[in-house]
Amino acid sequence: MSDVAKEHLVMEHLVTLTYHERLTENLNRYADKLLEGHITGHKCPSCGRVFVPGKGYCSLCVVPTTEADEVEVPDTGTVTGFTIVTPVAYYGQEKTEPFIYASVLLDGADTTLGGQDITGVTHAELHTGLRVKAKWKPREERSVEGMSNRGWGGFGDVVESFEATGEPDAAPEVYKEHLF
Amino acid sequence: MPATDIAIVAYAQTPSVRDANPSEVQLLVPTVSAAVEMAGIDRREIGFTCAGSCDYLTGGPFAFVSNLEAAGAWPPISESHVEADGAWAMYEAWMRLQEGDIDIALAFGSGKSSPSNPAEVWAQQLDPYYLAPLGLDPVSLAGLQARALLDSGKATERDFAEVVARSRANAKSNPNAQLSGDYDVDALLAEPYYRAPLRKHDVPPISDGAVAVIMARGDTARRLCSRPAWIRGLDHRIEAHSPGVRDITSSSSTALAARKAGYDGGPLDVVELSATFSPQELILLDALGLPKDGGSTKINPSGGALAGNPIMAVGLVRILEAAARIIDGSANRALAHATGGPLLQQNLVCLLEGE
Amino acid sequence: MSNEKCAIIGVGQTNFKKKRDDVNIGGLLREAIDRALEDAELSIKDIDAVVIGKAPDAFEGVVTPELFLADAVGATNKPLLRVHTAGSVGGSTCVVGAHHVIAGIHGTVLAVSWEKQSEGNAQWGLAGGRSGGIGAGGAFAPWMRAYIEQSGSPDYIGWMVAVKDRRNAAKNPFAHLKMPDITLEQVKESPMLWDPIRFQESCPSSDGACAVILTNQEGAKRSSKPAAWFHGLSVKSELSNFPGRNPVKPQAGVECAHDVYRQAGITNPRTEIDMAELYVPFSWYEPMWLEGHDIAGPGEGWKMVDSGETDLGGAFPVNPSGGVLSTNAIGASGMVRFAEVALQVRGLAGEHQVPDVHTGLAQAYGGAANYFAMGVLRDSPPS
Repeated sequence: MSDVAKEHLVMEHLVTLTYHERLTENLNRYADKLLEGHITGHKCPSCGRVFVPGKGYCSLCVVPTTEADEVEVPDTGTVTGFTIVTPVAYYGQEKTEPFIYASVLLDGADTTLGGQDITGVTHAELHTGLRVKAKWKPREERSVEGMSNRGWGGFGDVVESFEATGEPDAAPEVYKEHLF
Repeated sequence: MPATDIAIVAYAQTPSVRDANPSEVQLLVPTVSAAVEMAGIDRREIGFTCAGSCDYLTGGPFAFVSNLEAAGAWPPISESHVEADGAWAMYEAWMRLQEGDIDIALAFGSGKSSPSNPAEVWAQQLDPYYLAPLGLDPVSLAGLQARALLDSGKATERDFAEVVARSRANAKSNPNAQLSGDYDVDALLAEPYYRAPLRKHDVPPISDGAVAVIMARGDTARRLCSRPAWIRGLDHRIEAHSPGVRDITSSSSTALAARKAGYDGGPLDVVELSATFSPQELILLDALGLPKDGGSTKINPSGGALAGNPIMAVGLVRILEAAARIIDGSANRALAHATGGPLLQQNLVCLLEGE
Repeated sequence: MSNEKCAIIGVGQTNFKKKRDDVNIGGLLREAIDRALEDAELSIKDIDAVVIGKAPDAFEGVVTPELFLADAVGATNKPLLRVHTAGSVGGSTCVVGAHHVIAGIHGTVLAVSWEKQSEGNAQWGLAGGRSGGIGAGGAFAPWMRAYIEQSGSPDYIGWMVAVKDRRNAAKNPFAHLKMPDITLEQVKESPMLWDPIRFQESCPSSDGACAVILTNQEGAKRSSKPAAWFHGLSVKSELSNFPGRNPVKPQAGVECAHDVYRQAGITNPRTEIDMAELYVPFSWYEPMWLEGHDIAGPGEGWKMVDSGETDLGGAFPVNPSGGVLSTNAIGASGMVRFAEVALQVRGLAGEHQVPDVHTGLAQAYGGAANYFAMGVLRDSPPS
């Protein structure tokens, strides 16, 4: 056995890699509209499903979608799934307190917005079917800098949260096909 | 013995470009669709799909998951993914076709090098304990290989320049190539060194791109394509990792893979080689027993990797380019090559024939 | 053409721990490989090809690490193929390795998969290096909540799974977390991480590797020990996110299961399969997969747990090894499922052996529960 102390066998090898990526055409348009307070998506010309944001294609039909397929949806919707996350510490993690991580199905959309914060209810009161409406940030505070082609960011920097509206819950039939 | 009645029947690729605005999956969606259309099949007829890409190139763990959206994965499909060039995805799909329970398979590869500095990313492919901490980037490594090749007496700097001139001249007829044109060898040799003895033109361009290939068995292949490119052999081999423990002026794993793929040294109409740096083309030709000018064999009629290098697609593009020449009747026997790892560590050889 | 039959004749696992700082990555893999070769009574020279799998490279920070590992895994001058299908990758790697044999491309193949999470930071990797990472548990929690709502399962079912798996792990010499005396109360009192998942209902981060030696009938004859024969194997994928997706019971999981049942001639999996190793990183996934693979009917999965049917001594033991809940070197976890089923049908599982196993089911899943790899192994070759 070697008598070298364990700590001498451990090597720090920190690497920084920087990636620069332009937003895709569809996300770029989506971001511009979002800053103006409009939520847009792509309606598949083949199956009619509305993807928010538009992907530039329909993943089910595997056909391209373009600006011509753009539709606007309202900023109201339904909570279709959620969890309360106790944050795990790691390099770069800023969250320290438990936070809501909810999926919201906007009215007229077929895809949910994941990872949304819900306000106007306590953690204990949060439930699926809850009706919510986007609480927009003041125009000058909105940002799309966190948005990326990898599906990160976007909504979180233009709205404060989705706030409970107090309307009656949506019927499960309305969103059961769109849980997550 | 593997079955030899499996053929490439359809294919598609994007042009190789410096900086594509579409995302990787957006590059793949029309590419896969075009290959399916060329085959004249319904997606549902595909019995197995395999994809090749690299998370670190895209810049996110699980980046490959998005690419599944180009495969038409609903209803569910039989599918797998290799963290490698699409040529290895094709190998897995070809293997799956051997079993006879399915007739058609799809393989694709994709990569965007534009978001990152590839020299930084691929430096992290080296042994993390002994090599990566040295900060060796792939271009400097290739410079060491080029120097070793010159020192061995097997090649000259003029040979490197001739490879580049041939590549770019051939690429003139390839609408998907990124670099093409007529270049004078003496003028190339007058350029300054970039990583001596390599000049900038000895180094591949940074490229984005995607490629898809559809294979079919026997009579299905004949039904889908009037002149299928039959895969007579497909094999890949890897060598030791550290460049210090192998002869980097030769490629024993290419020679071995070619032999295992059934290449007997007989005449070839076309070779398509993933020679990322110009000296590597000479090393690969030597490993295949071909002269520097190819003799009667046309070398990289597409222009090869020096004319467009969409990493993770570039190897499968070579197979596509070889197959396309069989399908269009301009070649009858072709060999295509793909590579992975530092300095040709891992190599794949595909031997293709017309009927 | 006739395909070859494929058997697992050697199984090797490392000792799984939070931090294996006594070995580097190559040493870790070699520990599993050497044990598999010893079990198979072979040497590395007998291996024709190597298939290697791991989860995202970002977990250790090495790009396509199998290339630098080529020497350590004995792959030089051989084919080496790297598989990456997210969390299911260990299972997929085993399946891809088996296809090498079944297709007749190679006679004897080494499949190995691994993760050395202590040399990087998986939570950082999962979050893509950004704040607000929710971990795999956060991603799966809403679906577990939905399962509980839909099935009417009592909340103690998750605790029961955790207790069973941790106690089983105490009988497995390679397992990471061994808690022979853990109680329902301890699970229930542990901190809530991602509602409904508590700390003790969640998998650990482990360093480790798993290797299997796959061979054809001729190869199996050379071994003095029993072999575990593939009677069914399948991989299925579906889109990770689309309108109308059912992530609680993903269709790809249903079809993957039915594919292997059909190949193996199984019509009633609950009675015809003697034990299963299912990928259960969070307790609720045990009842979810029992239903998700049509072993139990809708709303019946949790009742199999409740009645003790999935206990080591039950009629349908699930995860006698202690499962992913006790040991999770991510890339290796899927392959451990296949390896443990192989040990069970070969009768070599030791203290956690289920009596009289003739047919076992191995399953791995990954991504957003949209990648599946499954296999049915038996103690005799298919006819």
